Amino acid sequence: MLPTERILYSPITDRPRLKLPNGARMAVWVIVNVEEWDAKLPMPRTVLTPPAGGSPSPDIPNWAWHEYGNRVGFWRMLKIFDEFRIPGVLAINGSALAAYPAIVEAAKARRWEFMGHGFTQRNMQKVENEREDIRKTADVIEAATGRRPRGWLGPGLTETWETPDLLKQEGYEYVADWVLDDQPVWLKTTTAPIVNIPYTQECNDVAMMLIQHHKASEYYDRAIDQFEQIYDDAGDSARVMALVAHPYIMGAPHRTRYFRRIFEVIRQKSDVVFMTGGQILDWYLTTGPKAP
Amino acid sequence: MTGSPPMIPRERCEYSAIVDRPPLKLPGGARMVVWTIVNLEVWDIGKPMARQVLPAPTGVPLLPDVPNWSWHEYGMRVGVWRFFDLYKRLAIAPTLSINARVCEDYPRVAQQARDQGWEFMGHAYEQGPIHKETDQKAMIERSMKVIEKFTGKRPVGWLGPGLTQTFDTPEFLAEAGVKYIGDWVYDDEPTVIRTAAGPLVTLPYTVELNDIPMMLVQHHESDHLLKRSIDSFDRLYAESKERPKIMSIAIHPYISGQPFRIKYLEAIYDYVNKHEGVVHWNGEQILDWFEGQAGEAGSKS
Repeated sequence: MLPTERILYSPITDRPRLKLPNGARMAVWVIVNVEEWDAKLPMPRTVLTPPAGGSPSPDIPNWAWHEYGNRVGFWRMLKIFDEFRIPGVLAINGSALAAYPAIVEAAKARRWEFMGHGFTQRNMQKVENEREDIRKTADVIEAATGRRPRGWLGPGLTETWETPDLLKQEGYEYVADWVLDDQPVWLKTTTAPIVNIPYTQECNDVAMMLIQHHKASEYYDRAIDQFEQIYDDAGDSARVMALVAHPYIMGAPHRTRYFRRIFEVIRQKSDVVFMTGGQILDWYLTTGPKAP
Repeated sequence: MTGSPPMIPRERCEYSAIVDRPPLKLPGGARMVVWTIVNLEVWDIGKPMARQVLPAPTGVPLLPDVPNWSWHEYGMRVGVWRFFDLYKRLAIAPTLSINARVCEDYPRVAQQARDQGWEFMGHAYEQGPIHKETDQKAMIERSMKVIEKFTGKRPVGWLGPGLTQTFDTPEFLAEAGVKYIGDWVYDDEPTVIRTAAGPLVTLPYTVELNDIPMMLVQHHESDHLLKRSIDSFDRLYAESKERPKIMSIAIHPYISGQPFRIKYLEAIYDYVNKHEGVVHWNGEQILDWFEGQAGEAGSKS
């Protein structure tokens, strides 16, 4: 299906008011992306290009740069989640559950939500059997946590025309690939509709640090600008803000302080609630519009 | 080692979360090591340049690339002497990551580093991805020999050009007598990896506090070198209360030796040296310390 067949255009100002529990004005969800990069393939992102260019394989320096995030950076970020009591959402490659068991255990111990994020970190359009990839990811998450994931984020947010249909059929209840709104929305699928929860390419360290090459402080500045505007907008109807971080980026020691300061600021507002994707979904299912 | 299939990184070293390891211990009340690495290279004018500050007007690279060759050459003629002054004044002897051919083409520069007591670390014969070497083993041996002849001491450390490796590079390095490598930037601490020719130690080199990604890839302003180093140092210094930390700074004379950048490099040391418990070590000193630790507490991965 084309996107426009899954969802009709709708201006945010024309919808019935959404209300969060306990008078909260807006919700913030924080997604940590844990990936496994296959040393035999080209790296999904690079910090260092080889001398005189090209892309020789294997690419050990960039593999190791990413691996740092899971050996060291994740643990640095975890302290911040603990300090500010942030309920984390782990968007995790299926293969990463076996590769990084210590991360899985740390997330489980804190009751973080596990979200499917592809079995491997590659474009969903290049995955040979998409349904199997989606199902296998749910299987390994269930095996590790005792619960099938409710949410899905494509690697690099990639989808085929069929992805939402397959996700729904495989038991997923929400997807985060469609960054088209500040509120959850319903997407039609070939069976029952699926919810899309607002994720972000803007407050996302991959875009800011690796593509746009901003200084680490931009992550903080942009998050606060985003937060203040959405907080202001949410006076009429509840909105959701997403914040996305990768351990190999924001877990680098020189960036951590900018990540931490965001929560120092947002935690001062008593009418802002940190939620997981699953909690946002449950709230929307209860109080939002019925599935079309 | 011949005959065994090359290992992928995961076969050389299992995943290990830093929080699950017993902390290492530095001697004499030190809590943090700063490891400075100066990179010296030879850019062969007959080949495409390793980096470019100025792409050709049409965007198509043409040979010879004189503007970018001479931009790099400035580092050897002028920039590196700013480094020598700085480290003499600070009484710091960095690690020199050196293309062996520098000893032949720029003996004046290599002599100065030798005379100031810098550690020579192997960094290929000349600058280019190691994947393109037709005989990697011979190139590594040649590089080690040239440096050994020049300094009288065989290097114990190695950094691939642009940190590049093929899957069998660690075997070639171990066979050549290399003890530590800087190519694996995957931890804050040294680790041990397997090779078919015996273990190799990885030291935490950096692609974050490194002027190539910062200035040439990400195009940050000059003062970002200082800002990012201070941000890193503050975090690592705070963490070093719990376990020792190593902060690496990787610089190139054609980048950080520029007149408009050098003051930010100098200011990093002014900042760092205001703190108690910080030592400046070279790679070999870090290796010796780590090996002593491993002897005390069993193997570390």
